[in-house]
Amino acid sequence: MLEQIYCVDDDVITLMLCKKVIQRADFAKEILTATNGEEAILFFKELAKQPAPSYPSLTFLDLNMPIMNGWEFLDQYLKSGYNETFPGAKFIVLSSTIDPQDVEKTKNYPMVVDFLSKPITKEMIEELKEKAHNKE
Amino acid sequence: MKNNSNKITLIYVLILMFVAFVGHQFFLDYTKNTESTSLYLYIKDFIFILISGIILKFILLHNEKNNKSVFEKLQITNNEILESNERYDIVAKATSDTIWDWKIEDDSFLWNKGIQGVFGYKKEEVGKTSKWWFERIHPEDSLKMSVKLYSFLEQKTEKWQDEYRFQCADGSYKYVFDRGFLVKDKDGKPIRMIGAIQDVTKQKEEEQRLRLLETVITQTKDAVMITDIDTSQNVIPNIIFVNSAFTDMTGYTAEEVIGKSPIMFIGAKSDMLEFDKLKTAIQEYRECFVETVNYKKNGEEFWNNFSMIPVTDKDGEHSHWISIQRDVTEEKNKEKEREQLIRELTQNNKDLKQFSYITSHNLRAPLSNLTGLLNLVEDMDIEDPELKEIISGFTKSTHLLNETINDLVKVVIIKDNPSIHKEKVLIKEIFENVFNQLSFLIGLHKPILKIDLEEVSILNINKSYLESIFLNLLTNAIKYRSENRQLKVNISSKVEGDNLVLTFKDNGVGIDLVRNRDKIFGLYQRFHNHPDSKGLGLYLVKSQVEAMGGTINVESTVGKGTTFTIVFKNN
Repeated sequence: MLEQIYCVDDDVITLMLCKKVIQRADFAKEILTATNGEEAILFFKELAKQPAPSYPSLTFLDLNMPIMNGWEFLDQYLKSGYNETFPGAKFIVLSSTIDPQDVEKTKNYPMVVDFLSKPITKEMIEELKEKAHNKE
Repeated sequence: MKNNSNKITLIYVLILMFVAFVGHQFFLDYTKNTESTSLYLYIKDFIFILISGIILKFILLHNEKNNKSVFEKLQITNNEILESNERYDIVAKATSDTIWDWKIEDDSFLWNKGIQGVFGYKKEEVGKTSKWWFERIHPEDSLKMSVKLYSFLEQKTEKWQDEYRFQCADGSYKYVFDRGFLVKDKDGKPIRMIGAIQDVTKQKEEEQRLRLLETVITQTKDAVMITDIDTSQNVIPNIIFVNSAFTDMTGYTAEEVIGKSPIMFIGAKSDMLEFDKLKTAIQEYRECFVETVNYKKNGEEFWNNFSMIPVTDKDGEHSHWISIQRDVTEEKNKEKEREQLIRELTQNNKDLKQFSYITSHNLRAPLSNLTGLLNLVEDMDIEDPELKEIISGFTKSTHLLNETINDLVKVVIIKDNPSIHKEKVLIKEIFENVFNQLSFLIGLHKPILKIDLEEVSILNINKSYLESIFLNLLTNAIKYRSENRQLKVNISSKVEGDNLVLTFKDNGVGIDLVRNRDKIFGLYQRFHNHPDSKGLGLYLVKSQVEAMGGTINVESTVGKGTTFTIVFKNN
């Protein structure tokens, strides 16, 4: 079980769904949420100030969000050097986009490990668990 | 000569002396003269003889002198005549004129050697009367020519010259230019006419050729303009000729533009870059093609497509510019309309694409929530049977909506993505995948499947598309089976030349193609009242086949079955 999971999505129902699915699958002890990219960036900024912070090892990131969308967040994250600050933080893009170019684009970000289509399901979580287990 | 007169005088004296001597001897016998008288007579006779001899000698000498001067004069005249004859022959040869001489009163007609050299007649063939001449004039020219000639002979006209066709020895005709002069007697009556015939066939033919070439310029629908090469006044040299098509195009007559520079057709909307291009070309004596707005005499603007081509004279010196021009306003406007249309269409297409992405995304986001929530509900125990029924209906509808949207999304992606990923695909493998996915349906309806894929197994194609195509066609075959008989499906593939042909044949309910041929592959077209039918499957199939460069055709008979034929280029 992971210590912390972070869900970034502007849709509260999606966030609720994420929480419920993750809880039922016993995937993480703590589930944190944010409703847009800016909020998420500020969250990582605060963490970076602490000497030895505990940070979420996995973040589900939506692409279409107001104020700061998923792409802008990823760019800002790289620019701020958080990829080095939080080497164990991985991202999964969780989106309902159908644009094939979006899938291609995620390959430019080293911390993005997967691109998944909504909705989040038990099966997805089981698969992720298995992968994490195999790595260990 | 001198010796001659001396000889004649000596012979004369000797003969006379002999006669005088014989006479004396004769008379001596009869007259019995004394010797003294006879001696006296002898001396007297000899003296006379000598005197007459001397006189004769003088007369002879004088005559001789006279004769000599006359002879010398004659000789000079003779030489002059010879020379003049020679000169005349040389001149006739040099000008290649054929000279004729007609004595009108006795109608004797003489030709010089030209009649042989130029027209090929043999000496003995040449006639000696004017009739021979007239007979050799082309029938079409003879009337006009003789009218002019007789009015000249009657001295109604001052000069006579004419052009006509004259027959050669071989029967062909030459164009000739004939000039004649009259010789008159004291009373002013014409007695002789002398003429010179010039062979102008070459000039005439050249003239006709040039006239033909000229008709190209005068008759063509393209405007033609010729300018000189003098750029000292204007950067584009002055016009020296324009044809009537030019007047039709611009409204300017030739008089109005000759001597002026074509700069006069340029105006506010003319393309200055094109003008610079033309200017440079003219400076460098290069041909140039320009398209620009020009202005007519009435101020109206028009698109002029024109060329300027340098021409050289026969010494290779650059002498003129020839310009062919055409009013292309109509084409230009059409082109503009087309460009505008393409711009609008491209923009519309872009907007639509964007729109479809956004709508599908906005539809999918709440739909995925619905699906996710229903997934959660699935794991929960619901006691209330009514609620259970409602939730089950809710789930079914949500799944149907989800399927539809996913199909539509697929279509959008296919339509937007012409360069799809292709790979070598084993057809058999794909079929196995499809059968696995449909194992439930196949187990339920137990169709007889006859599959004949022996010849080709590998195809360079998009795997997921092909899978989707097979899945759709096979699902359709099962969905639209006939209730009266067991379903039979024949699937085959074979190579025909460069093509790979896939056939799907079933014995199902069939489609009424007479009514529906145009619609069968259309979006949201349904032909049977089937609960699962969305009208998307065949549209998707066609889109995917075409995205891979293939074609699909259908044959069907209601109540008997349907055959789909898919053709791919196998390379």
